Amino acid sequence: MYLAPEDDELAIADAAADFLADAMPIERLHGAAGPDLSPETRVTIGEMGWFALALSEERGGSGLTAVEHALFFREVGRQCGPVDMLAQALATHACKADDDLRAAIVAGEVGVGLLVADNGRYRLFGTGDATYALLASPAGASLHALDDAAIEERPSLDPANSLRLLSGLPEAVCELDGGSVWALGQMGVSAMLVGLAEAALDLIVEYAKVRETFGRAIGSYQAVRHTCADMAVRLEAARAQLWFAAAAHKEGRADAQHHIDAAKHLANETAMLCVDQNIQLHGGIGVTDEHDAHLLLKHAMLLTRLFGSKRALLGNLLHAEMAD
Amino acid sequence: MDLSYSDADRDFRQRAREWLSANVPRGPRPANGAAGAQFDRDWQRRMYDGGWAGVAWPREYGGLGLTGLQQVIWYEELARARAPAAHVSTTYVALMHAGPTVMARGTEEQKAAHLQRILSGESLWCQGFSEPNAGSDLAALKTRGTVDGDHIVVNGAKMWTTDAKHADFMELLIRTDPDSQRHKGLTWLICDMTTPGLDIKPIRTMLQDEHVNMVFFDDVRIPVSNVVGEIGKGWSTALATLSFERGLGFIADQLELYERVGRAIDLAGKVRLEDGRLAIEDDGIAQRLASLKADTLAIRAMTLADIAETDRTGMPGPKGSMMKLMVTTTHKAVSEVVGEIMGWDFLEFGGDRSATPWTHDYLWSWVFSIAGGTNEIQREITADRVLELPRSR
Repeated sequence: MYLAPEDDELAIADAAADFLADAMPIERLHGAAGPDLSPETRVTIGEMGWFALALSEERGGSGLTAVEHALFFREVGRQCGPVDMLAQALATHACKADDDLRAAIVAGEVGVGLLVADNGRYRLFGTGDATYALLASPAGASLHALDDAAIEERPSLDPANSLRLLSGLPEAVCELDGGSVWALGQMGVSAMLVGLAEAALDLIVEYAKVRETFGRAIGSYQAVRHTCADMAVRLEAARAQLWFAAAAHKEGRADAQHHIDAAKHLANETAMLCVDQNIQLHGGIGVTDEHDAHLLLKHAMLLTRLFGSKRALLGNLLHAEMAD
Repeated sequence: MDLSYSDADRDFRQRAREWLSANVPRGPRPANGAAGAQFDRDWQRRMYDGGWAGVAWPREYGGLGLTGLQQVIWYEELARARAPAAHVSTTYVALMHAGPTVMARGTEEQKAAHLQRILSGESLWCQGFSEPNAGSDLAALKTRGTVDGDHIVVNGAKMWTTDAKHADFMELLIRTDPDSQRHKGLTWLICDMTTPGLDIKPIRTMLQDEHVNMVFFDDVRIPVSNVVGEIGKGWSTALATLSFERGLGFIADQLELYERVGRAIDLAGKVRLEDGRLAIEDDGIAQRLASLKADTLAIRAMTLADIAETDRTGMPGPKGSMMKLMVTTTHKAVSEVVGEIMGWDFLEFGGDRSATPWTHDYLWSWVFSIAGGTNEIQREITADRVLELPRSR
């Protein structure tokens, strides 16, 4: 029993943090880079093998587990990384039969967006360069070709991801029954939310050490200190539950799905608390376009809506039975 | 990262479960008072005779010397068996504060005189730290001790002393250097509660009980041989206790919360609201209960993460304060939603914990978030030690 990253896990997390800080730092969203995962960055990430951490070796992956998957996407979240990253990684699992397509997805040579059902229509997140899109639910996952789809551009609140609308679902090129992709998606987006919440807490803690009002650092005022402490407590809880869920999935525990649902719910709540208070405690600078604070808020608003609504997650949890 | 239990740990859980199912007292603990204290002594004695006393204590002092993880397993099994709750037991101070302090700083004579008696339930202890003007700011304490030959003569008053009337000994922190300030010049003493000059005045609380007290000292003569640590170095001795409390002291509460939410969900499946629906059919109530269930899972995960760290480093980290914040706020939130589920029945309360446990525990939630360091102090500690923000004072 050891419920924290250790040994090789720490090495992978450190490597991911270094790579992402260079390849897609959050500052990109203030520049000309634009939303989504660019084809160039996608190929670079593919070459490094980051999309296929939890994919078995015989299918062209690293043969690691949900734990490394979660550690990687936590770092993605810290940089406000786009959800195409997750769609691309999940698509490597959704396509069992077509080895060539899977290999191209693993390598980042073709792009995959994320589809979400919306009352008969479908929301599409990800680069316009993507030729496929992934749709996942607790019952299964499918990959759809976007070639001939009628796609309507919509304005996106979130600078990290563009937002488009499909009136119908294009035909599936491969389908997979069961909740395995959904579970990995939940853990990936939970990890992104935890990383994003950590980034928000780091921002306000560093600012509170240097910003002065009335001749004192604002971090010496209890109104600021206690709010930061509450953020830290909720983050500690969400992070611990994420590790528990990822380890439970890795070990094939019977109650893994319940722990994953709990992890997603806690990540949702924690991220919204942290991005909210990060803006508030920054004061005026917190609402400016030049600051990262609104980027974290807007991306959290997207991520909290993915892979399980609050209503669905809590409905699952109410009568869930946990093992020892 | 792994969640697997070793064969030894699984075997330990099985043995604990079997022993508890055969030995947990039937029927509720009597309401606070002498009967409750006797119940606690008897239950502690039963654990001692069965070889289950002192899960957190090292083997050399008669404990079980369990790893942190095995302690977690033990408290999980206690909660599952609905065993008497450790945090309301009059044995708590002796087992979680006084005993560990004597182990860390006591003389061989003190260890021989006290440790085995604590483990067997023979002696109960209370804590004489807080004063009327020294609570959160403990170092402001003023109760004086003057060395007179081989005795220290104590004058002053202690406040919020839980179960003082039933305790055999008190862990007493006093100022022995009248010219000293703050953390200097303090001394940590073992005070026999039968010593002449001690006067205990109960404080009636909003729980309709009298388990906390003021304790007055009027020329109370305590042998110098009862000093734990050194005269004038009492703060250092007291810190040995506090770090123990903030490390593993809340394990029982942490792990009991999951069972508590389960009981609240069961209750919501039986109780009808004023519109005739079962409480669990109300979306608001169902969502709050499910959200609290997620919180209690996270608390368990935090406990395991913390234990993993402590077992590796041998030292509890600064996260105990975060744990106490998480546990006390969750505890209160569970009571609040149960209050809504129960409707008017929640207002029936005559002070008997066993007859109306939910209302009692709701009122107790303020004790929980104030005693042992208020939640405001825990936030200060978190801001200082975890976030390393500039000091507020």
